[in-house]
Amino acid sequence: MIFPEGASARTSPAAVAGRVYDVVIVGAGIAGAVIADRLSREGRSVLVLEAAPAEDLTIKGYEAYLTDFYAAASKDNQSPYPVIEPVPMPRSTDARPIRPGGPNTNGYLVQNGPHSTDTTYTRVLGGTTMHWEGKILRMLPQDFELAEQRGQGPKWPLGYADLEPFYREAEREIGVSADIEDQRYLGLTYPPNYVFPMRGLPPSYLDQMVARGVDGTRVELDGEEFSLKVRPFPQGRNGIPNPAYDAGRGFVPVGAVSTSQVDEGERCQGNNNCVPLCPVQAKYHAGKTLAKALDRNVDLLAQSVAYQVHTDPETGRVTQIEYRHYHDPNSAEYQTGFARGRTYVLATNAIENARLMLASGLQSRSDLVGRNLMDHAYLLTWALLPEIAGTMRGTNCTSGIVDLRGGRFRRDQASFSIDIHNDGWGWPTGAPVSDLVRIVDQNTYGFDLRRSLVDQVSRQLLFAHMIEVLAEPENRVTVDPRYRDRLGNMRPVISFRVPDYTMRGAAFARRLSRQLFERLGAQDHTSYDPSEYGYVEFEGEGYRILGGNHLAGTHIMGTSPGTSVVDDNQRSWEHENLYLVGGGSMPTIGTANTTVTATALCLRTARHLLHELRHQDQPVALATH
Amino acid sequence: MSLDDFVAFSSEVTGFTEFDLLGTGQAQSYRDTVAGVVGEQGLAELLSAYRREVTELSDEQLRAEQLTRSVLGDPRLGPLARNIIKLWYCGVWFGLPGHEDTFTASPQAYPQGLLWYAIGANPPGARAPGYGSWAGPPRIPALPASPIPRSLTRNPSAG
Amino acid sequence: MTSQTQLLDRPLPAEIDTVADLEAYLNAALRLEHATIPPYLTALYSLHPGTNSDARHVIRVVAVEEMLHLTLVANVMNAIGRRVDLTADDFVPAYPAHLPSGETDFLVSVQPFSPAAVTTFLNIERPAKAPSEGRRLLPYSDDLGAGTVLAASPLNPGVRFYSIGEFYAEIDRGLRHLDHEYRQRGEELFSGDPAWQVTEEYFYSGGGEVVPVTDLASALRALTLIAEQGEGLGGGIYDGEGELSHYYRFEQIQLARYYQKGDVAARPSGPRLDVDFSAVYPVAIDTELADYPAGTPAFEAAETFSRTYADFLAYLTAAYHGQPHQLLDAVAWMFRLRDDMNRLIRNPFPGRPGVHASPVFGRGPLERS
Ligand SMILES: Cc1cc2nc3c(=O)[nH]c(=O)nc-3n(C[C@H](O)[C@H](O)[C@H](O)COP(=O)(O)OP(=O)(O)OC[C@H]3O[C@@H](n4cnc5c(N)ncnc54)[C@H](O)[C@@H]3O)c2cc1C
Ligand code: SF4
Repeated sequence: MIFPEGASARTSPAAVAGRVYDVVIVGAGIAGAVIADRLSREGRSVLVLEAAPAEDLTIKGYEAYLTDFYAAASKDNQSPYPVIEPVPMPRSTDARPIRPGGPNTNGYLVQNGPHSTDTTYTRVLGGTTMHWEGKILRMLPQDFELAEQRGQGPKWPLGYADLEPFYREAEREIGVSADIEDQRYLGLTYPPNYVFPMRGLPPSYLDQMVARGVDGTRVELDGEEFSLKVRPFPQGRNGIPNPAYDAGRGFVPVGAVSTSQVDEGERCQGNNNCVPLCPVQAKYHAGKTLAKALDRNVDLLAQSVAYQVHTDPETGRVTQIEYRHYHDPNSAEYQTGFARGRTYVLATNAIENARLMLASGLQSRSDLVGRNLMDHAYLLTWALLPEIAGTMRGTNCTSGIVDLRGGRFRRDQASFSIDIHNDGWGWPTGAPVSDLVRIVDQNTYGFDLRRSLVDQVSRQLLFAHMIEVLAEPENRVTVDPRYRDRLGNMRPVISFRVPDYTMRGAAFARRLSRQLFERLGAQDHTSYDPSEYGYVEFEGEGYRILGGNHLAGTHIMGTSPGTSVVDDNQRSWEHENLYLVGGGSMPTIGTANTTVTATALCLRTARHLLHELRHQDQPVALATH
Repeated sequence: MSLDDFVAFSSEVTGFTEFDLLGTGQAQSYRDTVAGVVGEQGLAELLSAYRREVTELSDEQLRAEQLTRSVLGDPRLGPLARNIIKLWYCGVWFGLPGHEDTFTASPQAYPQGLLWYAIGANPPGARAPGYGSWAGPPRIPALPASPIPRSLTRNPSAG
Repeated sequence: MTSQTQLLDRPLPAEIDTVADLEAYLNAALRLEHATIPPYLTALYSLHPGTNSDARHVIRVVAVEEMLHLTLVANVMNAIGRRVDLTADDFVPAYPAHLPSGETDFLVSVQPFSPAAVTTFLNIERPAKAPSEGRRLLPYSDDLGAGTVLAASPLNPGVRFYSIGEFYAEIDRGLRHLDHEYRQRGEELFSGDPAWQVTEEYFYSGGGEVVPVTDLASALRALTLIAEQGEGLGGGIYDGEGELSHYYRFEQIQLARYYQKGDVAARPSGPRLDVDFSAVYPVAIDTELADYPAGTPAFEAAETFSRTYADFLAYLTAAYHGQPHQLLDAVAWMFRLRDDMNRLIRNPFPGRPGVHASPVFGRGPLERS
């Protein structure tokens, strides 16, 4: 995929000041990119404001991320990305237990607690998809009807059937690898003959070993019986194109983005580094979509942090976006600029969208902006398998157990899906480097060291339970003028408590994993340290709940201004020409990683916007005819 | 102390042949890293202790005991020796009392980490093994025939 | 006018008259395509890690596409029902090998990345058309030494083609001629089992797409792709798929600038490209196993590598022999070979100060004894 040379610097604050665009989009992540792309296809003039610096996406720029990652002594999930003063971002290493008496203001997120989260997002060109894992689960049809069926969570203004065509469009955009046979469960339906663009990635050797022990396990819950099965996940990374895709037209994978032709990244190579950075760009990132959009003359104004959304007090319409443009990523000096359009789209992700609205004084009458913050709760359990399982190979995660994503039990407790992590205990313990350090510190060396490593690393098994979290008004993003970043932007203040509904799911997950470990003959090594952040006590037992990076719910969609912030097109109820897009619009998140659903919503919004713009044009068109 | 001495010592403590170690392309860089932190003197002390106490012994059992006692077990040399093992295995120099800094020897050190080689895997983000390779059992490389570095055996020209 | 239509007008007699002749030519083509892989891989892995990103990407793509070319020739061979064999004693050439470049020829060595290596690569991929029909086939002297002569006529000892392009033109012509003859007799030249064809599902190059061959049209398409990926389409710098051809990819290294859409030959106007010829392991040139002092670890590693490489060729042979799905593992093989080569290349060559060890590419059973 060729990135048009010079496109990242085509416009300037001065040039932008003199223009009224059809649409001004804030944020160049997947949400902003797909909307920009679709609008530009019909020749709409689009400006994308991006907080992060944007050089042309080149293979060398990308490799610089990789070199930084190689060089980093601590390889946390933001380690490839430069930390710059004007655009701070959350980092999992900033999380600390929250002590009574005040928030943790250590990192970029101001954490009020009581729960301390290590959730992150990335403010670089291409957004968080640069470092996401790329698991592409659709939400279940029942996830859209949780309120109606189980009396839980706010209502959706649309259903699975409404979104289904957009799921397919998103799966094409992202380039999803999966075998359709594996993805028909719990009511997930597709049009006849639909297949995913590429074939499923082969399950890892570890998955196969777990499947032998787990498949067919029976579980009873709320009077329903479930039979468990290890199943591959759909993946947003390139595999073998399926010739049957698109009614036999096939699919051409999109490889690495660069200003020169590199012919790389058309197929995953098993680097096991999807998070934080796929070295060959086999994994989808929004730069792939941006490159297409920029080739069609979309303007990108980088190093421009949206500071305030200005509205007309009479009509509520947005009049302009005030942004702070910095010249030097190493300094907090800036100049103020304004961007104007007929329509505005905020696509900075759930936390940043809410932050920007609140910092602009645009709390809605329903007082819902920033509320209902959701993120999947991760509970990890880990064990040592009896045999060498070849852990630490493959993509981060190829398969999991999804049978408990749905069921009657959801009236009482959260559903969850289980990831089998190919990278072993890396997440909770820092394996395998932590194992190395421990073994060497016991004065084990030479052949014994090599043998011990195989013995203690290649048998590792980790289940990551991704547990549903429902919207709770008190879980929220706010702003506070006392906490600002170096550019003067108010930082997001997060208040979050893990709901009991979720903890009931967590407690069940913990019990289930004990049972599964036993079936596998695996030795349970799980332990939760009360002194670490994320520790939660529930009904007498301790757990550690980690952040899911699936931020949602801060501007939920609904059917009325009293109960929601945006309508089913993600249009603000109170600001007619403003759209708040992305995960923030989702009223529930079920047990699906949020991006494909958020992207489907954005594609739907793009279609609506095109329609609206055409509609607005009409009087003019009539006059000239 | 020459590079060869450093590599011979490293071979015995890492469990990899000198050829494997040179094959990472990192030997000189690691030697310089170590000397950079503890000084030429500090490194020389370690290597001569190894030479003096261990290299002459041909009985593997005795050799192991001696290495554990006089090198790894030595309060001054032990931490340094362990750090050299870790350096080869993951490219990171871990902070020691007096030298608190933890850092990666160079960006190219990490991709050469022996840790992943030892378990038949690749360091995340480097040395990709190829599409689908993860579906089969791991190929865990066999241990060398002898733990004694080849350059220290009787016919050094063959090393 | 494309080279194909021109060929049709060429007067006979030419070389290929029987299927056996064609088979001999296709075998020579397999050798030719393969012969470039060891030099490309060695140059590629001689680059210091973390340096020469531009050159690395250029060489890598070309090397991978040479694998594609090998597969395309194999598809043609299988389509006419003849066997592909990459395990013959003489399959891997003796380096330095001779390749034609018009009236003169040049040497192809297994050597480190260097200006000389880039010149060789350009020579390999250079478009060249014989000035006249009479100059398509040229005699070569037999005092060329031990090196294999590539793009020679497999039927006429002592004669070689003016260029690789002309060599393929002959196969193109032979295919048309034989197909025509078979049809007239009511027979089918393309009688091979279609299930043996390597399709895109099994082979993945990153660049061009593999062409399954079932008839004359697809056979010609496969050969055209080889020619175009090498030297470009009809004198342009891109092939029919809009991909920059190998010759111009390498020229970018020489001119220190990338081509971009709309450019013409010799005038790239894309982003700058940086080369650092000093960030290269000085690997030994055209090494034979016998060059390594026996008993050294380098010798053992070179021997193991050579054997693994021969095994790889045997594995490919089996894949081309009705097991196309086996090609899925070929990538993992290539990556393992890469790791082995890297380990070798970073070691000093025993007894030659300032020189690094270099891989020896296994030549069938002979070297295994
Ligand atoms: C480690 C990790 C793993 C993940 N794995 C998965 C997964 O497997 N599957 C899945 O579905 N999802 C996954 N996610 C979530 C996924 O990455 C996000 O849902 C998705 O990238 C969000 O896209 P977005 O465009 O809405 O926001 P973002 O990608 O966050 O993009 C927002 C953009 O806006 C810019 N911006 C922010 N503030 C401003 C401002 N004030 N002014 C101007 N620009 C601004 C940012 O720089 C950025 O470019 C993962 C996330 C993480 C962190
Ligand atoms: S496994 Fe590797 S090649 Fe595949 S997507 Fe992840 S990082 Fe990229």
